[in-house]
Amino acid sequence: MPSANLLFQALASGLFMGALYGLIGLGLGLGWGILKQINLSHFAWVFLSAYLTYELKTRFGIDPLLCLLILLPVFALLGVLLQAVLAKFSITPFNSLMATFGLTVSVEAFIQLVWSADFRRMNSHYDELKFRLFGVIVTYSEALTMLLSLVCCFAVWWVLYKTDIGKALRASAEDPDIARAFGINASKLSLALSGACAALACCAGVCVALTFTLAPSQIFAWIGVIFAVVMMGKLASAWAPLVAGLVIGVSESMTMALIAPTWAPLVSFTLLILILLMRRSHD
Amino acid sequence: MLGLKNIQVNYGAAPALWDISIEIGQNELISVIGPNGAGKTTLINTIMGLNKAKQGQIFWHSEDITTLPSHLLCEKGIALVPESRRLFTGMTVLENLELGAMHAKAKAKRAQTLEWVCELFPVVKEKLAQSSGTLSGGQQQMVAIGRALMALPELLLLDEPSLGLAPTIVTEMFRVIQKIHREGKSVLLVEQNVSRALSISSRTYVLENGRVVAQGDSSELSKQDDIKKAYLGL
Amino acid sequence: MTKRLMPMLAALVLAILIAGPYVGLPAHLQSLLYVIFFWVSLATSWNLLSGYSGYFSFGHGAFFGLGMYGMATFATKLNLSFFPSVLLSGLVAAALALVIGALVFRLKSIRGESFALITLAVTFVLSTLIVNTPIDGGPGVYLMGVSTPAIGPTAASSFYYLGLGMAALCVFSAYVLFHSKMGLGLLAIHDDEDVAEVNGVPTFALKMAAFALSSFLAGMMGSIHALYVSYVTVSETFNINVPLTVVLMSILGGARHWAGPTLGAILITLLLNAFTDGSSALVGRVVIGLILTLSVLLMPNGIWGSLSARLRGKKVQIKGDPLSEQSHADPRGRDLLSERTAELAIKGVTPVGTKVVLEVKGLTKQFFAIKALGGIDLKLYEGEILGLLGPNGSGKSTFINVVTGHFSASSGEIQLLGRDVSHLSAHEIRKSGISRTYQIPRPFNGLTVLQNVVLSAQYGGSGASESQATEQALQWLEFTGLSDKAADLPDALNLHQRKFLELARALAARPQVLLLDEVLSGLTPSEIDLAVQTIRLIRQRGTSIVFVEHVMSAVMALSDRLVVLDQGVVIASGAPKEVMNDPHVVRAYLGDKVEGE
Repeated sequence: MPSANLLFQALASGLFMGALYGLIGLGLGLGWGILKQINLSHFAWVFLSAYLTYELKTRFGIDPLLCLLILLPVFALLGVLLQAVLAKFSITPFNSLMATFGLTVSVEAFIQLVWSADFRRMNSHYDELKFRLFGVIVTYSEALTMLLSLVCCFAVWWVLYKTDIGKALRASAEDPDIARAFGINASKLSLALSGACAALACCAGVCVALTFTLAPSQIFAWIGVIFAVVMMGKLASAWAPLVAGLVIGVSESMTMALIAPTWAPLVSFTLLILILLMRRSHD
Repeated sequence: MLGLKNIQVNYGAAPALWDISIEIGQNELISVIGPNGAGKTTLINTIMGLNKAKQGQIFWHSEDITTLPSHLLCEKGIALVPESRRLFTGMTVLENLELGAMHAKAKAKRAQTLEWVCELFPVVKEKLAQSSGTLSGGQQQMVAIGRALMALPELLLLDEPSLGLAPTIVTEMFRVIQKIHREGKSVLLVEQNVSRALSISSRTYVLENGRVVAQGDSSELSKQDDIKKAYLGL
Repeated sequence: MTKRLMPMLAALVLAILIAGPYVGLPAHLQSLLYVIFFWVSLATSWNLLSGYSGYFSFGHGAFFGLGMYGMATFATKLNLSFFPSVLLSGLVAAALALVIGALVFRLKSIRGESFALITLAVTFVLSTLIVNTPIDGGPGVYLMGVSTPAIGPTAASSFYYLGLGMAALCVFSAYVLFHSKMGLGLLAIHDDEDVAEVNGVPTFALKMAAFALSSFLAGMMGSIHALYVSYVTVSETFNINVPLTVVLMSILGGARHWAGPTLGAILITLLLNAFTDGSSALVGRVVIGLILTLSVLLMPNGIWGSLSARLRGKKVQIKGDPLSEQSHADPRGRDLLSERTAELAIKGVTPVGTKVVLEVKGLTKQFFAIKALGGIDLKLYEGEILGLLGPNGSGKSTFINVVTGHFSASSGEIQLLGRDVSHLSAHEIRKSGISRTYQIPRPFNGLTVLQNVVLSAQYGGSGASESQATEQALQWLEFTGLSDKAADLPDALNLHQRKFLELARALAARPQVLLLDEVLSGLTPSEIDLAVQTIRLIRQRGTSIVFVEHVMSAVMALSDRLVVLDQGVVIASGAPKEVMNDPHVVRAYLGDKVEGE
């Protein structure tokens, strides 16, 4: 039985991992719930952003947070472009999954072309700086991840519930015809939302670069757990992905500490299965 | 003010509306009645741009709006109270009302209009923070009318507002509709409740199987047998 | 014509492939072909459930993986020989499928993405279990020492033939299933599961069977593949690549056709193989990814779907401008009926029998806070045409939905010829003899007009063989005037024709009781006349009819009796003229007269 300190450390690392899961799931869930698209390329954007952050830091010494500011508009634009193309075809959510899968394959190959399949680890001072919180050691990278995740969730919540654009988005997700009857321009809103989701992916990518070793194959490794995060709660929710992420992150890390690392996926996926079985029909 | 000329709308390959010509003038309360399947909702949806007309034209203050995208119609001054309310049930009453006033002109006056709507429907004022999906049918209908009024329309399109409501609520609702009319708005009322529709409107169109089979002064029509025949088959 | 061509072509290709190694097919091509056979097997087996029925599974990796580890366990730890191991691996995979299906296939909420995610989650759970238990334990399993049967002229050709055998088996299964009664049922489930159920298709049983077959084949392929790679690890077996690639291949090729996945598998494998070295391989993948994206966007029904749409487009007659009132009705149909109905129209009704065919007692239906039906008592006599009326929202459609089993009753009894049917599932009720049509026609859009009716004839409880069912279906199409539309898809029909297709489909099950839901709405006066004649003829042939209608002239002309509903209860019943003069009914329809407004 591991010591209390070790358990707390595991809990903390689970929370930070969960915050990252939540941040990645946030953008995916928004697109799924409002645009009715299952955008697999979301994962490609996350890792593209991570690799670009790595590149900017390693080659030009740019601080990762500054990288974030530089990359956000780039990815927002990418998101808008993607939606502009997708909107020309009327596709079912499932077909959007397949179409974006193709895009993800391309981006993964592109990443491998530029950065090779070697493992890449970004070295930043954020990793070296640590502090103690309730007896647990936390790196600045982890703290930053948690902070960014909370900020993004709050921002999404605020936009969705406190601004006109957010209300318009929620309305057109529920009843696009009547929303249009009241002057809501659904196509313009979709472009903006797609840009926002890509920007969220960019943010997540910076966090990934801060805390993880990168490899192109990673893109596909995360799909399963992030889908679990998104499906556990309501789609297009500001806080549900974070909560689900924390639940999964902690259950994984505790399983790792208490039993063995290799048992970790069992908990999250069994939880997902149970939740799916117990949900009532939405439509 | 609003004119439909020879409108034809199709359902698949077959016409759902055939050769429809309807006019509404300033400050008029017109009703459209007819049995189920006659095409009344299709008519309203066509005016609102949710169905595309295969043939014919729609005019608004002499501007041809036949092919105008729906989201621009609200701004022009036409607001919709849909059949079965169709509120945004995942949102509160207040949010639903705010969503009625999304275009620039209405947004500027949003606070004032909200006050007026609350005056018209005191029950709405009480329930502002409540999720609209939890309201009763009658309350939802009030919110739906309120939402449309928030858009500061010149013309209000009402699609079967009495559907599924108890008689006392229907009475109250028609009283409010008349009040709105008196404040200077035009109303196009589509109704199943024939006697009420005839009693509050000045002119009526009778729709049957996608065609206008009778039209004219409401009080004249209410004396005729055509309506009884269409509805009761006698 | 094309129907015969495809299998003959396939047989020819098979013969060539079998001959291959014997006529000097080089080893590297045999390897490439093995990879193609591998993907053809997996994609085709996936398609048996997912492509045909629309239940997209993301868990094909689980069954494939069970097959891999099945061979690893049976061959190394239990020392079973080759063929039993392969068979057992398949059976284990099928067993897992049945367990998942039993949990999931009855729930209406598990369709679409939920099903995809549950199957994906199962894959991860399975992989975790395998890596943590003695089945694998972590280091993987070596299969070097396991002997594979030697088939063909060279050592390498064994896997070539094993792969070919699996691929042939899978494609053959897909072909047979596609052309079978079960396949038709699956395709109907894809288009509209609820309507399929109401038309007699035992949806649960079919889904289970397709899922089991699909997994069985995937498991067998996995077991063979385990020997091919000879070293099995969890990370290589249970990653997301297999399930995603399989889906992509099938969708690209065309998930609705038996040969679609084969086409997709061949194309993608060749594409991926075209770029094999270093950086050009990566550039190749970038290009392939984009090609795939564009293909899915431009051809949502896959290559096969687009091809057949093109071929069909040439056959369908060009839809002219809307038609005047007269030409809506199918002229042939009118001629066919005019002789027989002329007399009927004058004569009027046939005497109604005294036997009660359908009896409903105290039927209620509660949806959360809404009481849609508040206690309905109703009798339908043999040979009767009963009109069911009421304003909007009075419960007429709910009544039909409950009687036909789409909704379960909250309380009350439904008896058909004295037998209690209130607790039967929808397809069992159909088989017992109650059919319905939908107010807004719901044909199976991916099946031809003829297939729509054949399905109903085959599943309607009369136990007809395919040729008998086709014959019956053609007769019903003639009866409803749709004979020349038999090979068309429903979207080529206008509203009137679609309603008659609904009718033909409902009649093909030879029902005792037919429930018609607003069959006349949206029709022109001449079409209404034709429909009325047809309904009379149906009654002539022995079916008792309940029909919900708003076209009052037709109601008065057709009904022997009327029942009027308002707010979920019966407010009047009896002879038509009396009922319509009843003040309660007048108020329900015309609304209250309001004093002093």
